[in-house]
Formats: sequence, C-alpha cells, structure tokens
Amino acid sequence: MVEVKEEEEKKQVAEAAAEIAPKEDEGENENESLPTISESEAENEVSSSSDSDGEPERDKALLIGVAFNIDELYTEILYIILHNVGCDVSLEVGQNSLFSYAQEAFRIPNNKHRQLMDIAESKQDPELMINVEVIEAKELKSKDSNGLSDPFVTLYLASNSSHKYNTSVKSMTLNPIWEEHFALPITGNSTGDTLCLEVWDFDPAESMKEKFVTATSGQHENELIGRASIPLNTIPASGMTMWYSLDKKHKATRQGVLKVRVSFSSGKNNQVAQQEHRHMRKIILLHELEMSKVAPHWWCGNFSSQGEQLLTQHIAQSGLWPTEVALCSYSVYADVHQKHPLSLTLFTKLLEKLVKPLKTEDISEEELKLFWEATRKLLPSCFSVIRKIRKKSTTEKTIMKQVIEVMKILNYITLLEPNGIDLFPSTLYPWITSREDGPNCDILSTLKEAVCRGASDWLEYLIEANSRQNETDLVKLQNLIQLIHLVRTDLQKSIEYYDKLFLDHLKFQYAKCLYVFYQARIATLCEPEVTEICKTLKKLHYVGYSFNSAPVNEDPTDDPLLEGTSLFEVYLTLQRFVMLGKGLCPAEYNSFHIKNFHKWFHGGVTQWLDIAVYKALIRIEKAVELDKLVHVDTSVKYSSSAVDALTIFYQVKTFWQQLNWPDVEGSYTFIAKIIDDICRCCVFYADKMAAKVDGLGEVEDIYDKKFEITNEWCLAINNIDYVRETLEPFTRELNMEEVLKQIGETKGPLDADRCKNTLENVISNAIDTVRNKIIELLEIVVNKMGPSMKRLLIEGAELCNQDSNSVDRLMMYVDNNLSTLHRELNSENFNRILQILWDQLSEILNDIIQNNLEKRRPPSFFANLHTTLNIMLGSFKNPDDCSSCDALQRTEQILKINGLETADLIHQAYLELANLFEKSGETKYGELSFRCKFQNDSLIIEIMNARDLLVMDSNGTTDSFVRIHLLPEHKFIGVEKPKTKTQNKTLFPLFDETFTIKLSTEQCEMEGGLILFSVKDRDMLGYNNQYIGEAFLRFSDIPRTDQDLSSLPQVKKWLNRPVTMDTNVIKALESRQGDKQAREFLKKYKQRMGS
Amino acid sequence: MRSASKNTLLKVVILGDGGVGKSCLMNRFVSNQFDEHSFHTIGVEFLNKDIEIDGETYTLQIWDTAGQERFKSLRTPFYRGSDICILTYAIDDKTSFNNLEMWRTEFSYYADVKENNQIPFIVVGNKSDVIAEEREVSQLEMETWCNENGITSCIETSAKNASNVQEAFKMAVQHWLRLESRADKNETDINDTVDLTKKSGDNRMSCCVGSSDD
Repeated sequence: MVEVKEEEEKKQVAEAAAEIAPKEDEGENENESLPTISESEAENEVSSSSDSDGEPERDKALLIGVAFNIDELYTEILYIILHNVGCDVSLEVGQNSLFSYAQEAFRIPNNKHRQLMDIAESKQDPELMINVEVIEAKELKSKDSNGLSDPFVTLYLASNSSHKYNTSVKSMTLNPIWEEHFALPITGNSTGDTLCLEVWDFDPAESMKEKFVTATSGQHENELIGRASIPLNTIPASGMTMWYSLDKKHKATRQGVLKVRVSFSSGKNNQVAQQEHRHMRKIILLHELEMSKVAPHWWCGNFSSQGEQLLTQHIAQSGLWPTEVALCSYSVYADVHQKHPLSLTLFTKLLEKLVKPLKTEDISEEELKLFWEATRKLLPSCFSVIRKIRKKSTTEKTIMKQVIEVMKILNYITLLEPNGIDLFPSTLYPWITSREDGPNCDILSTLKEAVCRGASDWLEYLIEANSRQNETDLVKLQNLIQLIHLVRTDLQKSIEYYDKLFLDHLKFQYAKCLYVFYQARIATLCEPEVTEICKTLKKLHYVGYSFNSAPVNEDPTDDPLLEGTSLFEVYLTLQRFVMLGKGLCPAEYNSFHIKNFHKWFHGGVTQWLDIAVYKALIRIEKAVELDKLVHVDTSVKYSSSAVDALTIFYQVKTFWQQLNWPDVEGSYTFIAKIIDDICRCCVFYADKMAAKVDGLGEVEDIYDKKFEITNEWCLAINNIDYVRETLEPFTRELNMEEVLKQIGETKGPLDADRCKNTLENVISNAIDTVRNKIIELLEIVVNKMGPSMKRLLIEGAELCNQDSNSVDRLMMYVDNNLSTLHRELNSENFNRILQILWDQLSEILNDIIQNNLEKRRPPSFFANLHTTLNIMLGSFKNPDDCSSCDALQRTEQILKINGLETADLIHQAYLELANLFEKSGETKYGELSFRCKFQNDSLIIEIMNARDLLVMDSNGTTDSFVRIHLLPEHKFIGVEKPKTKTQNKTLFPLFDETFTIKLSTEQCEMEGGLILFSVKDRDMLGYNNQYIGEAFLRFSDIPRTDQDLSSLPQVKKWLNRPVTMDTNVIKALESRQGDKQAREFLKKYKQRMGS
Repeated sequence: MRSASKNTLLKVVILGDGGVGKSCLMNRFVSNQFDEHSFHTIGVEFLNKDIEIDGETYTLQIWDTAGQERFKSLRTPFYRGSDICILTYAIDDKTSFNNLEMWRTEFSYYADVKENNQIPFIVVGNKSDVIAEEREVSQLEMETWCNENGITSCIETSAKNASNVQEAFKMAVQHWLRLESRADKNETDINDTVDLTKKSGDNRMSCCVGSSDD
C-alpha cells in the first residue's frame, strides 16, 4: 500500500514537473494574469497566518507548477525533518525551529500543518542506507612473524551485528589501500546506532575456501588488529571522510589508523529525488530572498542555517550525488535568476563543479537537457551585463566583478561545446541581427552583437538626449565633439579595464570590436553634418588683408569664428579618435571609412586658414599697441612686439601641426598658403610698427623744426628685421621637406620639383616683400631727415665764408642721427640706410643745384655748397662708404662743375673732349699728322699732312687748312693762333709747315694745357669756312727736348667733332645765359658740332 | 604708403577650367617658355615677375591655380586679398567659356569682396593659335559676355606663340590702376573729411572754452 502511494506521489510530482517547463517559459507573458491567483492565495494566508501580514508578494510566477503539489512537497519536508540523519541537527538547529521554518517557507496554515504532519508521521521510516567507502589504513600493528600483516576490514552496524561486510585481504602490508564501497541498510532509529569497523589480520594457513567461508560468516581464526566505532549521530547529513584510530581492548597503544568515507543515502528514485530537491530548493530560496530582502545580484548561495539544514537533509535522505545537487541548484538558480537576479559568482561556482562531470561523466539526456535549459535562462543576464557595461548607477568595481563572472560563465559554456543547441532564440535575443536558420549557439558572435548592441544603445541614447529641434550648426558641432569625446573615453575605459578580461577568458578583442562599431557609426553621424556645415560656413568677413587697414571682422557676433573653431575641434577630436583606431586595429584600419575623415573637412580648411590669419592680425595689432618700444633686454635690439609677432606665427605653425593634414597635395598647397599668409602678417606688422613710430622724433628748437632719429624708430626697424629673419626658419618648420618627398614618391620627381620651386618662390617672395618694407621704413626716416639736411646745406652754401655756425649745426645734426642709427641698427640695416641717405642727399643736392641754377646763382654759391657737402661727408663715420654711391658722386661732380668760373668751365669742356677723342678710332673726318716739342719756352709744331679728309665741296674735294689754338684760352691771351696755308682740292693735303710759338715758362708748364688743331674747309670767298674736325694734344704729352724735330716720331690723330650738348659741363655753361664768354663758347661749340 | 621708388606688389590669381593653359600663360609671361607637355597643376603654383608700365615697375605675384574640381578646396584659400583676377578659357573649348560665370562666382565668394566691379577681372581667351575650324568661341561672344558682366578688359592670347601674353598682363595692371586711382580718390576724400572733422572738433572745443569764459 505504501509502495503504491509513494508511486502515486512520484507520479504526481513528475506530472507537475512536466508542466513546469512550458509554464515557466510563458511566465513572462502571463505575468499580467497571474496576480488573480496570487491574490487568492494571499487571502488564504492572511486568514491563516498573521506572520505574512505586510510581506511583499512572493513571485508567484516562479512557484507556479510547484504550487500544485505543494502539500506533498511539504509533507516530504516534514518527513525529512522527522527522520533527520547525521549529527548536524541536534548540534545546531533544533527540530522545532526547522518545522516552523518550513511552515513559513511553504506558507502552510497551522491546521494544514498539523494535518500534513500526521501524514508524515504515519509514513513508514525512510529506507536509509549508510554508504561506507573503506579507503585505506596506515601504521597497522604487525601480527605476522615477518613483521607484516595481511589486513582486511569487517564492518557492521551495532544494531545488526550479525550482518557483517568484509573487504578483500591485502597481503603483507601495514599500509593497505582498499577503496571499496559498501551500503549498509539502517533499520529503526538511526540516531542511536553505531557503525563498527574492525581491521583483522588474515591467517594465511587457511585454505582459500575456508577463508571465503569464514570471511562471510565472520567466524574465523584471524587475529584482530584494532577496531573503530562511529556513532551515526556524529556523521553530518552531507557525509564525511575521516581518519579513525584503531583501538583494541586492554591495549593502550594505537593499533593504526583507518580512513573511511561515510555518507547517507536512500533508496529513493533518483529522478524523483532530484525533482523534489529542485522544487524544495526553489521554495526555500524564494522564501529566503523574501525574508532577507537581499538586493538583486547579491545572493551568492548562502542559506540560513535552517534552509541549509533542510536541503542537506533532503540531499542525504534522497541520496543525491554532488553533481546532481549542483545541477539542481544550477537549474533552480537560473530559473529564479530570471526574475530575481542572483550573484553571477553563484553560477560560476556551480559551473566549475559541473563542467568536468558534464564533459566526462555519463549524464542522462534529461539532465543534459535540464542543464542547457537553465543555461539558456542564465545567459541573457550575462549578455545584459555586457550590454549595460556603461550603466551609470552601478560602480565601476561592481561592473568589473560582474564582467569577470560573465567571462568565466561564457568560458565554461564554450568549453562545453553547445553544438546544436539553440542557446540564443530570437525571442530572447531580438537584437541579434545576423541569424541563420537552425539553432544558434555561437557565443562569440552573440557576444560581439551584445557588445555592439550595448555600445549602440548607449550611443543612440546620447544622441537622442543631445538632439534638439532646429539647433544651430554651432550646437551641432559641439554635440559632435562631446559625443566623440565620450566615445573615446568609453574606448579608453574598455582598453584599460575590459579588453584584457575578454581576451584572457574568451580570446575576444573587446576594444577592437567596439572600435569597429564606433568608427562606422561616428562616420555616418559626422560625415553628412560636417560636409553640410562646411558647405554653408559663414564667411569670415574682414578687411585687413590689404596692407594698410586694420583687420575688422564685420560680423558683430563672432559666429563664423566660433563655428570655425568648433569645426576645427571636431576635426581634432576625430583625428585623435582615428589615431586610436590605427593603434587598435592596424590590420583593419585601411578599410575604415573614417580613415578619410579629413575629406569631409575640405571646405573647412579655407575657413581655418582665414581664421588663423584673422586672429594673427588681431594679435599683431594688439602686440604693437602694447609695445612700449624698449629693448626686451640689454642683449637684444628689438622690443616686445617682435617677440610677440613671432609667438603669433608659431601659433599658426601649431595650428598647422595640429591639422596634420593627411593628404599630401593639400599639405603642399596649404603650406604655400600659410607662408603667403605669414608674409602678409609680417607686412601688416611692419605697417603697424611704422604707424606707431610715425609721429615720433619731431622736435622744435629756437632755430627750426626738425626730425631727430629716435631709438623708437630704430627699434621699429629692428623689430621688422627680426621678424623677417625668422621667416625662413619658420617655413622650415612646416614640414615642407617631408611633404615634397611624399609628392616625389606619389607624383614623380617632376611634380615635386615644380612644387618645390613654387614654395621657394613663395618664401623668397615673402622675404623680399618684408625686406622692401624695411627699406620703405628706412626711406621714410631719411625722407624725414631731408628737410633739415636741405635747409642746412643751403644755409651752408649761402653763408659758408661768413661767420656762421650753420655748418657746425649741420654736422651735429647728421652726426647725432647717424650715431643713433649706428648704435641701434644692425650693420646690415645701417649700411642700407646709409645707401638711402646718399641717394637722398644727392637728390636734395640736385634739387638745390637746379633751383639755384635757375636763380642764376654765382659759381661761388656752388663752390660753397661743395665745401659744405665735403664737410658733411667728412662727418660720417667712414667716408669711404659714400664712394659706393654713384648718384652722390655724380651730384658732387655737378656741384664741382657749377662751382667753377666760366673760363675754367670752358676749359673743362675742352678737357672732356680731349679725353673723349683720345678713345676714338677711325673717323670719317680724316687723320692729321704732326710733330711737336717744347724747347726753351717755345712750342714748336710741325703740321705734316692729313689724309682721308671729309669731302666738303661739291666737286668731291676739300680745300683744307689747320689752325692752332692753345688752351685754356684765358691763359694764352695775346699768344698767336697760327694757321697753315690752304691746300686746295685734295683729300690728302701736304702742309709741311712748322710754327714756333713763344711762350712764358709758366705757360709752357701750364697744367691741363692743350693744343687744339682745327681743320677747316676754306670757302672760296673766305667768309664762311666750314669746320671739318679737330684734334687735341695735351701739353703733358709733348716732349721737352733739344732734338731736331725731324728725329721725333710723327703724331697721328683722327679728327673728331663734339657730338653732344648733354654733358654736365655744357649744361652748366648753358645755365650761364648772362655770361658772354659762355654764350660765345656755346655758339662756337654748336658750330663745331656741325649741322 | 608705398614710396615711388619701390615696386608696387600686386597679387594676381589665374582661374579657369583645367587644360585651358593657365600655367602655360604664366610660364610664357614669366620666363617666356612654353612646354608642350603640360602637367596638371597640383593645387597652386607661384611665380613673380616685374612689369613696367608708364615708367613704374609693378611686381606681380602670380598664383596659378589648378582647374580640376577636386582641387577646389585647395585653390579657394588663395583668392582672398587678390588685386587682379584673370579669368581664362580656351577659344577651342566652349565649355571652358561657359564656365567663366562659375569661376567668377567662385572667386567673388571666396575673395570676400562685396562688389564685383571692385576686382579687376580680366577675361583671357587662350589658344588663339588654333586653326579657324577649331575655334568654338568667337571674339564677339567673349566681348558680349564681358559687357554683360561688367568686365571691361578682355583679350585673346596664345601662350604657344607668345601672342598677346605680355599685353594681357599689362592690360590687367592698367585695369587695376584705373580702379585704384578711383579708389585713391575716394580715400583722399575720406581723409580730408576726417581732417576737417577733427579741426572743426578742435574749433568747437575752443568755442566752448571761450563761451564758458564769458
């Protein structure tokens, strides 16, 4: 009868269990309809148990199925408590406390409890067994003559001593190993019984047959070595393994030690027991969760002592093996975990126990199914951890711990090779995108999807949270910056914290997986926005690119600036993001769309360059404004704004370095642009600098208003020069060489050359332009000195021979200014300004000369002016410097000429002609031959002949004669001017006439004395002789000798005519219109030129 | 204020479709060379050259740009601050002529000038050496287009046989001079006004002082 009843019970439980699975699967969906059931139950509770008042509702969904046979289960619990085995109960928890715990856990009203208790008490005692494994013995006493024993063990329960069990005999050993298993049925009350273990020495004399008989009957002549007794109530319900010492009556010493494992078991149907255990564990777990109110994710397997006791008793009394218990727990916990998350550590511990048995032991198909069912329930929470890895509410440490557990769980599951099991059904994993037909058990690809999904959820949330209607481009850009920044931070965190975990446990590249996802998403997010914004960038309007005006941003709001700056920030943020990817995924990097992010910004670069220039101009203006025009320190000759300007340029360079433009063509072009821009900035700086010092140095004293060169002027010049000097080194820092090298590699050497030429042109153009700026400024300085110099020069000329200090003042003025320049300027600029000063001086002089020639000033005026100029030139530190100035020398020459008296001036004209003709070769006028000598204050001239004379007459011949003039005219007044006879109608006249001219010694030694031979064609009437040509002979070239003239060499000179009025001397003569002497000379001169 | 003895610097930008001969034009002008095997310009090229007009020397800083669309963002930064813009087409390429409008717009946008007539645009029809049958744009068409767009200077050139190249650049500078003299005049006017106001301000102050003394 009892058997039948038990069978029925088991059947009911099995049926109920069969219902559990489908019901539980639908649990989530049925949640809504469940409260009706729970409410009715709750009412029952209220009426029966006051304890349950105000208790939170237990999750009924989890109990559904169990509830159908809850009475039977409860009865079983009571029964177990009644028949507790092992020592634990009495020692720790009283039976009564267990009863009340169970009643509470199962929520059984008192009357029902009593009713079920009756049933439990009336039930037959359990069919308990004690399982004994005799493992080994050590240090046994020797019983045989050889010093050894042949031990075996006899074991029995004291209550049934006739029923003995023996191990095999281990011959000739004192340390036998048996490892043999025995199951002894326990009858009656187990608590009082004792397990007896006796170790015997086998008598080898007996035959094998006898040995067998005696061994089984226990009646033998063998000798007892020692015995141990173990009261059953000292054995814990969960069993134990112990060393026992062996005693013998009347012997005080130890006879050896015996190692035994003892545990309880039952004859229960194992499957039913497992099922019962699962239900029981679940009820107790739910009860404990409810009572302890443990937070989600925290419970990690610790029951209260009562709960623990009940479960242990059930295990012991049902004879469940550890693997079975672990599997039950795993299944129950996974189930509960779905609703009330438990600590993941719990699962890793269980999996640790389960993996080996599952892989090696022969596990029933049903158990396997149970395992995978539970795993399927457990996994979503694992992937949820991965997906919610960025959850803000939990601390970093907790997340880390969870992730570690998840990694362990996934690793265990992977080890179990879940091939063919649909671990990831689409109902539970709707977010898995790539699905193939059939069961899905690909853990890594699911992990990848979970990682991406988590990242995606987070990112989309951020995007959603930041997006507003109609936001401005500026806000859009700032949102992008923030977003990329957050993503980068997330990636860095993933690298720092998680990447190693994923790699170690699952060989999964977490950060890389994330990066691949992020880069694609960020690319799709940024590309359209950036390109669109670049297209519609507001132009930065400013004047100031021209050389003079100040930069003025005409947009009163700084929108274009802000927008451009934000855009650049987006660029930099993306750049850093891309760099991260290059390091993280070197193999995949080239396939990333985001790699070419710079292309989205093409339109922006123009704007950035503009902004860079604009900002530079503003800063330069400020720097000049703040410049106090004092030396930065004593060792340098420039002031603060020069240093500032340089810093400003380097900011542009920093911008360029930050930009780090990846495209080589673009880099080249932008470098050209930057150099050009910097050049413009330099020019702007020069202009600002010039404007700053413009009003300085104007002084007024009692004499006049004048301009004094000040240190400030010199500083301004030095500043500009300092900036100019840094131009070239600056351009070298723009990575030009590298860019050109790359162009050579990608485009070929020809293109690289062209680019190089262009850049060099731009650079030298920049340097030249700034150098010109300096020259310009130097000219301004000199121009400012001009009026004072001019006035002083004129005063000097007017008053030179009178008692006046004007020359001193002139010298002082020039000296002061030049010494300032010399002290303050570097030698290059000082030489430059001297050059300009000479030019300026000669210009001033020319002006003065022209002016005063018009005023018909006497030659003495010009002579005075010349003296003054020489005094002034003498005041320069190095008078030789001015020799390099052609203009000044020419002017000085003019001055000298104009200072001459007219007669001297005329002679100067002859001298110049003599010099000019000296170089002449063959002419059309013919050649004259003669011989001359000085002898005893006489000049003896023999005119010999002429040849190839110019045809002067209509008949094709010439009637020629030669007249001799001695020059300078005014020194030879009264001296005769002899002429030859006329030789008619011949182009080759033979004159052969000798003239002796008496002179004073003084005249003979006349410096610059000249003989002028004029060859003329005689008119028939003698009134209108025509000029053929002339030749000169210097007195200095005439020998002084007593030798006969005929022994002297013939002198041959080609005849010439004056050809130009455009000489300074002739001009000076022309200016002396009122001078008769000059007038007559010019008249003749023109005649000599011929018409 | 640039002193008379120093050269005036003028920034010149040459624009036009790829292949119309911008670089050839520049090289002919600067070094009097012509290279049959022309390259695509990468981004920009730069040369400078002095040109004398009426005894004055001007230094032209010439930026030759790449006409291909893909270089757009590389050339546009160079427009700002230009003094002269040479719009170029090839007379045997109607499309390049039709694109002048696009070039003009692009330049005006990036050069950041408010009124088009402030920039000395000059239009250059290059490749005048091609045989009559290959000509696709007549001189009349060019002149008409210029008239319609308020551009007063246009010329046909051949970088290949050097015809009109110097003239084209000279024309550009002369055009600039005309605009500049107009602008200068305006500027002087403004300066005068400023001075006057300043003086009158001073006067008024002294007036006030005077009246308070009363």
